[in-house]
Amino acid sequence: MTTVSTPAAEGGAARHAGKFLTFFLAGEEYGLEILKVQEIIGILPITRVPRAPRHIRGVVNLRGKVIPIVDLRVVFGMTEDAAEETCIIVVQVRGVQLGIVVDRVSEVSMVTAAEIDEPPSFGAGVRTDFILGIGKSQSRVRMLLDIERALSANELAELQSAVG
Amino acid sequence: MQLEASDDDGRARMRRSLQALATDKSLGVEARTRCSEAEALLAPNDDLEVLDAALVTVGQLIEAAMMADAAPPAKAKRATPARAVAVVKAAARVVAAPAKPSEPPVTAAPAAVTPVTAPPAAKAPVASTGPSAADLALPADIDLEILGEFILESRENLAASETALLALERDPQDAEAVNTVFRAFHTIKGTCGFLGLRMLTGFAHKAESLLSKVRDRVVPYSPECADLALRAVDLMKEMIDDTERAKDGAPLHAPVTLADLESALIAATEGGLAAAVPSAPVAAPPVASAPADAPASRPSLELPVARASVELPAARPSMEMPAPRASQEISVVTDQPGAQAETSVRVRTERLDQLVDMVGELVIAQSMVEAHPTVQDGAEHDLNRKVAHAAKIVRELQDLAMALRMVPLRPTFQKLARLVRDTSIKSQKQVEYVTAGEDTEIDRTLVDFIADPLMHMIRNAVDHGIEPPAERAQQGKAPRGTVSLSASHAGGYVVVELRDDGRGLDRGRIVRKAVERGLIESADGMSDADIYALIFAPGFSTAETVTDLSGRGVGMDVVKRNIEAARGHVEIMSEAGQGTTFTIRLPLTLAITDGMLIQVGEERYIVPTTHIHVTFRPEASHVHTVAGRGEMVALRGDVLPIVRLHKLFNVATPVTRIEDGLLMLVGDGERRTALLVDRLLGQQQVVAKALGDGVGRPPGISGGAVLGDGRIGLIIDVPGLVTFARTESWHRRTPVANRAIGEPLARSA
Repeated sequence: MTTVSTPAAEGGAARHAGKFLTFFLAGEEYGLEILKVQEIIGILPITRVPRAPRHIRGVVNLRGKVIPIVDLRVVFGMTEDAAEETCIIVVQVRGVQLGIVVDRVSEVSMVTAAEIDEPPSFGAGVRTDFILGIGKSQSRVRMLLDIERALSANELAELQSAVG
Repeated sequence: MQLEASDDDGRARMRRSLQALATDKSLGVEARTRCSEAEALLAPNDDLEVLDAALVTVGQLIEAAMMADAAPPAKAKRATPARAVAVVKAAARVVAAPAKPSEPPVTAAPAAVTPVTAPPAAKAPVASTGPSAADLALPADIDLEILGEFILESRENLAASETALLALERDPQDAEAVNTVFRAFHTIKGTCGFLGLRMLTGFAHKAESLLSKVRDRVVPYSPECADLALRAVDLMKEMIDDTERAKDGAPLHAPVTLADLESALIAATEGGLAAAVPSAPVAAPPVASAPADAPASRPSLELPVARASVELPAARPSMEMPAPRASQEISVVTDQPGAQAETSVRVRTERLDQLVDMVGELVIAQSMVEAHPTVQDGAEHDLNRKVAHAAKIVRELQDLAMALRMVPLRPTFQKLARLVRDTSIKSQKQVEYVTAGEDTEIDRTLVDFIADPLMHMIRNAVDHGIEPPAERAQQGKAPRGTVSLSASHAGGYVVVELRDDGRGLDRGRIVRKAVERGLIESADGMSDADIYALIFAPGFSTAETVTDLSGRGVGMDVVKRNIEAARGHVEIMSEAGQGTTFTIRLPLTLAITDGMLIQVGEERYIVPTTHIHVTFRPEASHVHTVAGRGEMVALRGDVLPIVRLHKLFNVATPVTRIEDGLLMLVGDGERRTALLVDRLLGQQQVVAKALGDGVGRPPGISGGAVLGDGRIGLIIDVPGLVTFARTESWHRRTPVANRAIGEPLARSA
């Protein structure tokens, strides 16, 4: 007897099913794969680094270690408004520790394969390649982030803005 | 006590203890395999004859395990796990006399056991005449962790023996030196024998044989012998390097000179050095008894590599084995390792760095406590006393942590002794190498910075500095030249001085070459020091002949670059006919920077004090502009360009008029620059840290440091900043190169 797996469970966005840490940024809810998250700390004074890439807000002292802080608003092209930021999520991306400033951390929730939709396409101008999928559960919609992609996508954006 | 094939209980007990041994991580891989094989053989079986035969094999297997006890090599360093050995011994006693020794055990044994049947008495050293295919690969079952340790240890041993060999050359009667070398070779032989590195075992054995003859005064330690021994050391180093590469999967190579050197060693050992012309083919080596052979003759169980401190809980239950004498042995032997406890411990460097980091953190946390209003008030006497007490301990802890990173310069200096010897022989000069202050300690990370420069400089000193004996005699100097290397501490710096009594630098020739190469237009108004500094220019060489040792002009620029990378500097003094002295100054440690905390707008930066010449409040009349834009300040006759830090770093500040701020004079020579800052906040020692990969490499910033209030202050990279300020045009937007997180990222299409 052979088991036939549903196409949804096999490939596509659904394969990212698992636990996500969700947080709010500019009123939108995002999810971050829990395995990438190292810790959550309260907001700290951030030291600006002159002439660092624009999406790097600066550096903070994490128990004696200097870690860069990424501003996802810049990455996503949102207006910069730091007033509501309360937390820094420390993630490990390809062996590098960095912090992400967010407005508010929400919860850790399990997102099943069935709850994940393919990322929508908005046409040119809106980048969606750093979205793993859309998680919809309990009547909430969350963008599940591919944090590695988000940061590399920004590298391109940075270069573009520098050239143009 | 004997175990009969019919004795089911005894057999079961036996199996249990063998099982315990087989899983005992403190035993070598081979030993464990043997034990589990033996254990498998004892599985219940109705056929008594088969069991009898199995017992024979088990006896042999256990005997093989016992060899560990008899093998002396490396015992000092890795005491044999006495308890395990004792258990095996006890087990052996049980199986002492098998019922039917003549019975071929193969019939009963599972296929896997066959290779073990040869008696483990093959004590004859493996001496193959040439590397066989099997020699050119690491044994499949090799323990990579042990191998790594072996490589590390062997390098140390080889370095020690090199030093000893050089000492021996000076004083051929130095018995202690011979013993050091002998021990080193012996340890290497023993360990790699255990690891199954046959090529190296064979070679080390031959080198050891020669040394044993030297030790027993059968062979005199002549210069030829010294040469041979040093070459053997070199070759072993090469083979160790090769083994390290093999660890990552590369195949092993037989060094090309292996066969030659082996036969030379044998010849020297056998018949004195007359016959030891390396090219002469040597008649049958004396110990060619077992050429590249069955795995059985490998001294497989020679050395269960484990530290004695490792407890063997699994082996404990087996103590109920009927062997009271064995347990007595245990208590005696286990006491030994304690007696010869190691005086030093190997610690991973990242752990050390972590410790230093955490201590730095602690110091800052402590200073935060001290800055707390309640403590500052001084009203709470009791609290204040306790805080002061804690502060004292923290300071001591910090000193201690910093000291952990310090290593003496001795090994670095010793390595250079060999270089002096080889270079002087090649260039046919007589050179005495004198060192002083080898115990001067320096930060571990700085050792790497200084080793290469010293090598280049010593090579130059011997090859170009020291004259040939005849020329020296003409000038009334001793035919033997002197190269001396000394180290000392002076004012927060380590000063390393390299002095030779050779011909000195030729000012005229340096000037000629420099003009020729367009480095300078003329030497007018240049001091000697400025002229000598020209030899640090890339590709600069005044040597008339390019030897294979030096003279290609590669080197001195590397020297300067390396030393400056370590935030040090180098000076030259020279007198024609009298010699040259290079003085290198290096900071004690890279971890701590003496910095000046400055303020620009709301931001604070740290400028390393070594780069600051003077800070002054400028008068408006001294500030000039060039073409309406470039600002300059006149200071004691010099006119220096001004760099506004707030503009360079995009900081909003109320201090925009130069006379409202302070000018900080930084940089050297051509790059002297006046930085405009708002004000100075004070001097501070900081622990420099990298900014982390995500930030990229912002120009003019070398790193960050945690300040007293827990925030990060950025450390200014003065040379980088000056260069950046010069290339920066204010009107053009400079693309900010963004090094991505971690490795280059795969870009999405």
